[in-house]
Amino acid sequence: MLEVLAGGLQATIQDVGRPGYLATGMPPSGPADRFALGIANLLVGNDPGGPYLVGRRPGAAGVEVLLSGLRLRVLAETVIAVTGADLSPTLNGQPLPMWQSLRVGPGDEVAFAQARSGARAYLAVAGGIDVPLFAGSRATNVRAFVGGVEGRVLKPGDMLRSFPPSRPPRDLEGRRLRPDLLPAFGARWRVRVVLGPQDDLFLPESIEQFLTHDWKLSPTSDRMGCRYIGPPLEFRPRPAYLVEQAGADPSNIVDDTIPVGGIQVPGGVEPIVLHVDGPSLGGYAKIATVISADLGQVGQTRPGQVTNFAAVSTDEAVEALRALEGAIAEASIITP
Amino acid sequence: MIYAKARYRPLGDLYLTVEFGDELSLPLNFRVIALDSAVKARRLPGVTETIPTNRSLGIVYDPLTVSRQELVAQLQALEGDVQEIDALPSRHVTLPIWYDDPWSRECAAAHGAPNNVEFLAGINAMTAAEVIRTHSGTDHWVSAVGFTPACYQAMPLDPSKALTAPKYQRPRRWTPERILCIAGQLTSFYPIASPGGYQLLGRTPVELYDPKQRNPAFAEGPVLPRVGDRHRYVPIDEATYWEIRREVEAGVYRYQIREETFRLRDYTGRGSHA
Repeated sequence: MLEVLAGGLQATIQDVGRPGYLATGMPPSGPADRFALGIANLLVGNDPGGPYLVGRRPGAAGVEVLLSGLRLRVLAETVIAVTGADLSPTLNGQPLPMWQSLRVGPGDEVAFAQARSGARAYLAVAGGIDVPLFAGSRATNVRAFVGGVEGRVLKPGDMLRSFPPSRPPRDLEGRRLRPDLLPAFGARWRVRVVLGPQDDLFLPESIEQFLTHDWKLSPTSDRMGCRYIGPPLEFRPRPAYLVEQAGADPSNIVDDTIPVGGIQVPGGVEPIVLHVDGPSLGGYAKIATVISADLGQVGQTRPGQVTNFAAVSTDEAVEALRALEGAIAEASIITP
Repeated sequence: MIYAKARYRPLGDLYLTVEFGDELSLPLNFRVIALDSAVKARRLPGVTETIPTNRSLGIVYDPLTVSRQELVAQLQALEGDVQEIDALPSRHVTLPIWYDDPWSRECAAAHGAPNNVEFLAGINAMTAAEVIRTHSGTDHWVSAVGFTPACYQAMPLDPSKALTAPKYQRPRRWTPERILCIAGQLTSFYPIASPGGYQLLGRTPVELYDPKQRNPAFAEGPVLPRVGDRHRYVPIDEATYWEIRREVEAGVYRYQIREETFRLRDYTGRGSHA
């Protein structure tokens, strides 16, 4: 069991998420970086679940930590692993090694001080965190008040219980991710997209600009949507009936499905990648969709960092998904 | 326009949409719902969920189980099967509304906008009382659900009862929960406190989103509205608002929902019978 001493900027319980309710407007939620949570779970002997949206199992729940401030006290012996962004994690004030499992005991304190690379770290506990299932998942959605601890961010005094571990703690410590699979979190990100569904509403020059510009992540970004600062994008003229039915702004469409990863461009300024807590329906043209394997790249980008969007085919996107899911497997773990 | 042939558009690797047109219309939405019912009944391999919207059906699928090409071929076959469907099950849901309520007034004023019902009266060349009579004088067809849990869009079934409303030029930073609103000709709803740009019509004492699922109306899930429902909004006064609100909070409110069949031909061609 862990006790929350400080909640930090935003720490939430997440598993792979809550698909199946998109038609009701309920987002899937889940980790902003599926690979990092999946590996953290594997390191401590938990089910990584997945994949995003189409998987059959949500996997074990862990903690998603945004940037800084979370502090936890260990109340009973267990095994933990920290993955994802390097938020300068410490164990009793000493640097805590990431991407490997560690045995911790009563009185130990885990803290996340400041972001050195990436935006979100993941902490898994052997057995997985025991909070109630809501609609088949433990993932927190703070805007819909569901999942996690009472549908909210973690706060001081919260007690995080775990399910029994899959193996005794002694058999779970010292497990590491294969070094060749360690993700590189730099200051520049490459995010692959499939153009559409409304790329045909944009001027060809604007599509070109979208795919070549250095976009900077805006500070107005969260688990719902990530905004990118750059040049305005322009639209083809629309017929009069759409101006009347969809709205006066040239980016307005009659509302349709927004996928997780969909990129809306309201008013032609600041493309928004809608993420795991994003809306399922919207009335702005979408230029492209981030492929599911690269949603984690978006989730790990810090405000001010540069992103380049690269167009790929749906077949390439499926290959990337296969590769990502293939890597979230026991074969990626080195045992002592 | 309604396309001569449905367009299949990719949305990354996990979704595609079957798009029947780009406009807002009942026959178009009806085709979306008919295809949705057929896809659900057929349980196509690899399809994990469907998202009916105003003019397209979103399909979520596992590309490691079924290829996009195979799925499109199966959907095209189904599309032909459902073309002739003219009747679908549709729930008729009656919702009490305190039109021009104090929360809507306060919210509009806080964002520097005039009273929204009086503003709509000006735009539609009628009195505020006529705005309320017009809006509550027809059934509204729920053509899309989404944005936030239980948020929806609905079109008036009687075109003579359509109001028109511009969106806010600068969206509001917040809107209280349970507010009914309108933009273009579409009625919508803020189930939870949200930012937004629709004109505010009134507030209902009734929940359409209940994550705790206390009322039997939420037995199947935390969200009440479904695409293909019809809503009838009934104006209520302040005393009735609070009476119903107390019942809702005590978990004893009885939702007024009738299971019916909706026939498209009753609403197209010869004008409206709503």
